[in-house]
Amino acid sequence: MAKRLLIFVLLIALIVLPACGTSNTTENTPTNKTDQIADNNSSNEGSSQETPDPFGKYEETVVINIGKSVDPTAKLPDGDTHENNQYTRHIKEHLNIEVRHEWEAASGNDYNQKVNLAIASNDLPDAMVVNNTQFRQAVRAGQLQDLTEAYDLYASPVMRQMMDKTEGRAQEAVTFDGKMMALPNLPVPDDGYSLMWIRKDWLDKLGLEVPMTVDEIEEVARVFVENDPDGNGKDDTVGIIGPQSGGLLYANFLSSTNITYGFGPIFTAHKAFPGFWLKDSDGKIVYGSILPETKEALAKLRDWYEKGLIDKEMGIRKDSSELMSSGQAGIFFGPWWMGYAFSDAVNNNPDANWQAYASPLDANGEYNTTMGAVSTEFLIVRKDYEYPEAVIKMNNLLIRDESKFDLSKGGPGFYPLRVPMAAPDESKVTIDALRDVLNGNKEPEDFDDPAYAPYKLLLNDVENVRDVKLEPYDNTDIQYWDLEARDGAWMRLYSLLVGAAPIYETEMNRVYSEIYYQTKTIESRWANLQKLEDETFMKIIMGAAPLDEFDKFVEEWKKQGGDIITAEVEEAVKE
Amino acid sequence: MVRDTTLSSRIADIIIIIILLIGALSCILPIWYTLCVSLSEKSAAAAGMVKLWPIGFNFNSYEQIIGDRKFFNSFWTSVKRVILAGGINFIVTVLMAYPLSKEKKEFPLRNVFMWILIFCMLFNGGLIPWYITVRSYGLINSIWALVLAGGLPIFNVILVVNYFRNLPKELEEAALIDGAGPWYILFKIFVPLAIPVLATVTLFTIVNHWNEFFHGLVLMAKEERYPLQTYIQQLVVVIDTSAMTEDQYKRISELSNQTLNAAKVFIAMIPVLIIYPFLQRYFIHGITLGSVKE
Amino acid sequence: MRNKKFINHYYLMLLPGYIWLILFSIIPMFGIVIAFKDYNPGVGIWKSEWIGLENFKYMFLLSDSKNIFINTVFISTMKIIGNLIVPLVFALLLNEVRISALKRGIQTIVYLPHFLSWVILSSILLDVFSYTGPVNQLLLAFGKEPILFFAREDLFPWLIVFSDVWKNFGFNAIVYISALTSINPSLYESAAIDGATRLDNLRYITIPGIMSTIVLLGALSLGNVLNAGFDQVFNLYNPLVYSTGDIIDTWVYRMGLLNMQYSLATAVGLLKSAIGFVMITLSYYLASKYANYRIF
Repeated sequence: MAKRLLIFVLLIALIVLPACGTSNTTENTPTNKTDQIADNNSSNEGSSQETPDPFGKYEETVVINIGKSVDPTAKLPDGDTHENNQYTRHIKEHLNIEVRHEWEAASGNDYNQKVNLAIASNDLPDAMVVNNTQFRQAVRAGQLQDLTEAYDLYASPVMRQMMDKTEGRAQEAVTFDGKMMALPNLPVPDDGYSLMWIRKDWLDKLGLEVPMTVDEIEEVARVFVENDPDGNGKDDTVGIIGPQSGGLLYANFLSSTNITYGFGPIFTAHKAFPGFWLKDSDGKIVYGSILPETKEALAKLRDWYEKGLIDKEMGIRKDSSELMSSGQAGIFFGPWWMGYAFSDAVNNNPDANWQAYASPLDANGEYNTTMGAVSTEFLIVRKDYEYPEAVIKMNNLLIRDESKFDLSKGGPGFYPLRVPMAAPDESKVTIDALRDVLNGNKEPEDFDDPAYAPYKLLLNDVENVRDVKLEPYDNTDIQYWDLEARDGAWMRLYSLLVGAAPIYETEMNRVYSEIYYQTKTIESRWANLQKLEDETFMKIIMGAAPLDEFDKFVEEWKKQGGDIITAEVEEAVKE
Repeated sequence: MVRDTTLSSRIADIIIIIILLIGALSCILPIWYTLCVSLSEKSAAAAGMVKLWPIGFNFNSYEQIIGDRKFFNSFWTSVKRVILAGGINFIVTVLMAYPLSKEKKEFPLRNVFMWILIFCMLFNGGLIPWYITVRSYGLINSIWALVLAGGLPIFNVILVVNYFRNLPKELEEAALIDGAGPWYILFKIFVPLAIPVLATVTLFTIVNHWNEFFHGLVLMAKEERYPLQTYIQQLVVVIDTSAMTEDQYKRISELSNQTLNAAKVFIAMIPVLIIYPFLQRYFIHGITLGSVKE
Repeated sequence: MRNKKFINHYYLMLLPGYIWLILFSIIPMFGIVIAFKDYNPGVGIWKSEWIGLENFKYMFLLSDSKNIFINTVFISTMKIIGNLIVPLVFALLLNEVRISALKRGIQTIVYLPHFLSWVILSSILLDVFSYTGPVNQLLLAFGKEPILFFAREDLFPWLIVFSDVWKNFGFNAIVYISALTSINPSLYESAAIDGATRLDNLRYITIPGIMSTIVLLGALSLGNVLNAGFDQVFNLYNPLVYSTGDIIDTWVYRMGLLNMQYSLATAVGLLKSAIGFVMITLSYYLASKYANYRIF
């Protein structure tokens, strides 16, 4: 009996113990990382060079272990993997850098979880791309390498140019104690703007002009709601779509881009900039949400809600885009790239003609807008990695060669450690180019020129546009687009010509936040203050609290840490 | 069993059945709805137009999920995981439950061991220490991480302990008189009698491990090693709109793909639903206690 | 007593389970000290600065904390009660059904909602209770005004409790159903001979037969008295119902969103565990002292 027992126990042990010994990745323990580089027994390529070459190929292969965000649905040619594709081979060939994935995760929440875990358990790969919060956490934990020297020595002229065009903002975003702790991305600033998207076919049908002021929008919304523009005989039309559950009413200094279905433009049309840190007329720092203009804007929205012009279930509804896709709503405020989200709407209603405008204008006839943070992604390198300049070189290479890749063999998302750097005028140049090609002023081949190298997608775009856009070329209504052509390329071109164009064709007052990150007290107190703000404002708009609740909010906000934080931001900005 | 056939009893029967049917109906409607969404046209689902019938009937979402070789990889990983976990859990649970079901006089330290379990059931150090620990054992990216890192299924053990405690003492005494040792009593007497509760905890284990996706995400480094739920849930990703790139704009059109979301639910449900009726008979019919002479 | 010599065997039986417990539960548990530290991942758990009860003080000093605490206790207590009673009643009702196919069919069906994640279920719920949804249409049919359900602070906790009980009653009933099978059928037979009614059966045979299971589940669920259900609330709440819907876990989540505050989260976790443990110990002690009954 005891013998059987012994065998039993041994069996369990045999199963369990070997598991403790195996490790299927050899790159896990910190010692292994430097062991890899033991292959390269010559000294640092960087330090032995006389003149640092931004595109210098390493003599001995340098291995870099990274964390990579992947798109699990993206298609690659047979035989290629996330770790082995045209981009990684290009890097190996030109720089002699071998990229290995310590781990991969689907971009979005999954990737964020992995990054958070890596930082919190002090197990960073050699390099990875992270968001602002993660970046600051890693800096504070002392886990990152100072990239100042690597950047100074190895950044290519084009990269420097792009960084400089942000007037120092990008550098500021990554500098701590005078040291550059990450390579920031430089996305096209378009994501920070909110356009008014409206059903132009309804306007035409009801004989209305495009509304350009707050009052005009109110009138149009009223007509939409009362006159059943979709003709289905039901009293179900929604005038203006509101944010969905968990969505934001407006951009704030921590989430300043890609706000969908918010009311930002209504606030800014009242010269209110809630959620942003501003300088008042005396040059003192003040938080936009506690200013009287914000109260005015809230009053207007409250009035609209009461009149039934705004979706009754704003803030509660799970998915606001349903109203857009089903053809139930006529107006919403959102980013330029909504073209990508219209395929369902058009499928359900081929007439759905969503056009975008920089509306509404304020009482002076001017358009005001908040601006998004300059950088949203940060490439970080762990403290003891031997070749920090490798990541700079990889991005140099990307900037230089991106337009040369064949997109059908995989999109740029496959490029490891990519921090997209776009020329700030990329959209404008693209829009102009597209129009030139459509008008016949230029041919697509004209853009196959080194002068246009910084605009990586331009060639592709101009090659697609004549197939995707139907005549008349200057009319961007939905019926003049071919939705099937070129594999759905209409989504991008529509977004550019309809969504982005107003950004570059309108005179605007651009308002930046004084800071886009958290100071010390913000870190500990902000969740509460944010909750107070969200709760109060939403209740005011939806009629669950009187307008004067706003004054109580201001008092509470100041008491619960707002004043302390304001002083802190004042200090931070002075530096 | 003698049937009670009075009128009031009949009426009671009918009322009971009606109540149960209403309950069942309320449960099946959301499932039916989800099934309809999964078989619908993407745009219709995105517009919230699907109610009780599929609109634009198609199997696209299912094809998209199943058509990928990666799907079968992760499916197989989950199967392996469930089998390993089911086996290990079963054995360990049964082994633990027996001594813990003893009285204090037979096993003096029994209460101590029991309370340690309760304590461990409630207290834990949080995600980070757990992750660091698992990593230090070198289990990252191994199937054993999925099987073992969840720890001992304490709740299951307690259920079985409770069941064992309620078994008639005479059974054991009879066996002891015949000279049986604890191992014999446990495996030859208790276990066969405890089939209902063992089927129950086996079901819990299977369901748990099959549906679990978070461990799969944090403990596996690459997609090839993901179990099924982890693989599926990443297909319907929520994009972090604070930092979007060109490829991600394209994925926006996937964002509203509720049909995919719904299909994923069903694919995940199916294997467990197959196992369930199989296990069901063990805890509905139970076994006769006729083997015991009172 | 004759069984004393088996003690070594008992230890042996406990061994594999306890090794597993030590490796994956007890060793990580030491990390709970993070609750008392200002955790800095760069230096690790042990070298992070000790700040004692700072995290706990911070929690209590926030203006909302009392409110959040009350919300949590209210919702989870109602859930504990609901999740004890409804599955039990359901199991008892099901037990009365004679037609085996019907019994199994119903049981399989009610088991299903357990599989739906709150992400999906919340969409469905929000839809069903939406302004133009079926529930409001029913209200209209009865001449009542439609209600914006999920905007109502007073209704929100109840919506949470009811939907959770509904989602899980089929699954939770399984334990009771399996416990019911262990009741000796001959008891029912002799009762029938004695002329017992169904109600009598219930009172004198069925309930006592599964009483230990009921009490056990009840006591264990007290361990969750501060777990009001993050997934569910997170997917269903909105700023309008914060005052009754914001629970400890959603609050901690929002703290972590802005800044990965592991110390705080661990402190909160510790608090929840401690209170849950006290509750279980209390119920064990009370049952042992006043009913002379050991729950486990």
